[in-house]
Amino acid sequence: MASGANDDSKESESSFECNICLDTAKDAVVSLCGHLFCWPCLHQWLETKPTRQVCPVCKAAISRDKVIPLYGRNSSRQDPRDKLPPRPPGQRSEPEPSSSTSFPAFGLGDGGFHMSFGIGAFPFGFFASTFNFGEGRPAPSPNSQDYAEDQFLSKLFLWVAIVFIFWLLIA
Amino acid sequence: MANIATQRIQREFSEVTKSDESQKNLISIELVNNSLSDLRGYISGPPDTPYEGGIFHLDIKIPETYPFNPPKVRFLTKIWHPNISSVTGAICLDILKDQWAAAMTIRTVLLSLQALLSGAEPDDPQDAVVAKQYKDSYEMFKLTAKHWTSVYAMTGFDKWRYPDFDYKIQRLMEIMKVDEDRARVALSSNNWDLEKATQSLLS
Repeated sequence: MASGANDDSKESESSFECNICLDTAKDAVVSLCGHLFCWPCLHQWLETKPTRQVCPVCKAAISRDKVIPLYGRNSSRQDPRDKLPPRPPGQRSEPEPSSSTSFPAFGLGDGGFHMSFGIGAFPFGFFASTFNFGEGRPAPSPNSQDYAEDQFLSKLFLWVAIVFIFWLLIA
Repeated sequence: MANIATQRIQREFSEVTKSDESQKNLISIELVNNSLSDLRGYISGPPDTPYEGGIFHLDIKIPETYPFNPPKVRFLTKIWHPNISSVTGAICLDILKDQWAAAMTIRTVLLSLQALLSGAEPDDPQDAVVAKQYKDSYEMFKLTAKHWTSVYAMTGFDKWRYPDFDYKIQRLMEIMKVDEDRARVALSSNNWDLEKATQSLLS
């Protein structure tokens, strides 16, 4: 049979074999349960069972978005994305900003603008409403898109507040 | 056959040949007609079961889409088992159907079949008659399965004989003018009751 010297020599490096084609993994991806596959092999497996996507080795839940591509040092000679099907991209999450503010950010995106309304016995409670500008958090650099949006939002809410106070006074 | 299937069968072939189970003669495979899509598998009956001492032959067909779809496997050797048809050899085993996974191999399939011989699943039967006997009169099932093993899965002089069964088979063959296999199925399906077996052949 085909178990020639070729097969025997590969036996020693078998720890990087794809679990589907049993060959050394090409365009390698690894599942969250830790099993290694060629991306084309795994893709075909997921296509075969679209309704029941499980790891071919341990039957843990698996999906296209939950596999991690492995990039070896010399693997970039040919761009794997030129081939079909494209391998899912690696995910890169930003590190947490080391912020000292105790105010939890909510709404309004990442800008440095915070607004809170205190609702209490009118009219006293109304004065508890505060505007905070640029507190604690790193402000976006000037000239950037973020900065312009930030400025716009600040002005918008300021005008909304002024109109609201004015309306309360005349009502 | 698709390239990936061919390549995998070649690798699996050497895997089975080198495996511990193969060294101990528990499982083996060989090619039929030098085609990689048509294999013959062999498993030995597990110890402490009615299948002990028997060698069971399996027909293994590798589909184009292997390993993304399971191989088609059936028993060529006649066997008395709740999850295997006593007529066609068809197997009821989840991993050969919807529980197949692409990392499974011919070797793991053969080992799973051996495990199936050790532990039947009478509540998910392939052969309803055998399953009923297994649940209603287990001792009768064991004797029948052992008899089938000795007749169909053993060669040579170590065959286990049960004179009562042999006698009844001879009688039924004379009465009904049927061949030995049909007489054996009729008697096995009727708990070796000669009268009921005769009636079942008449109806």
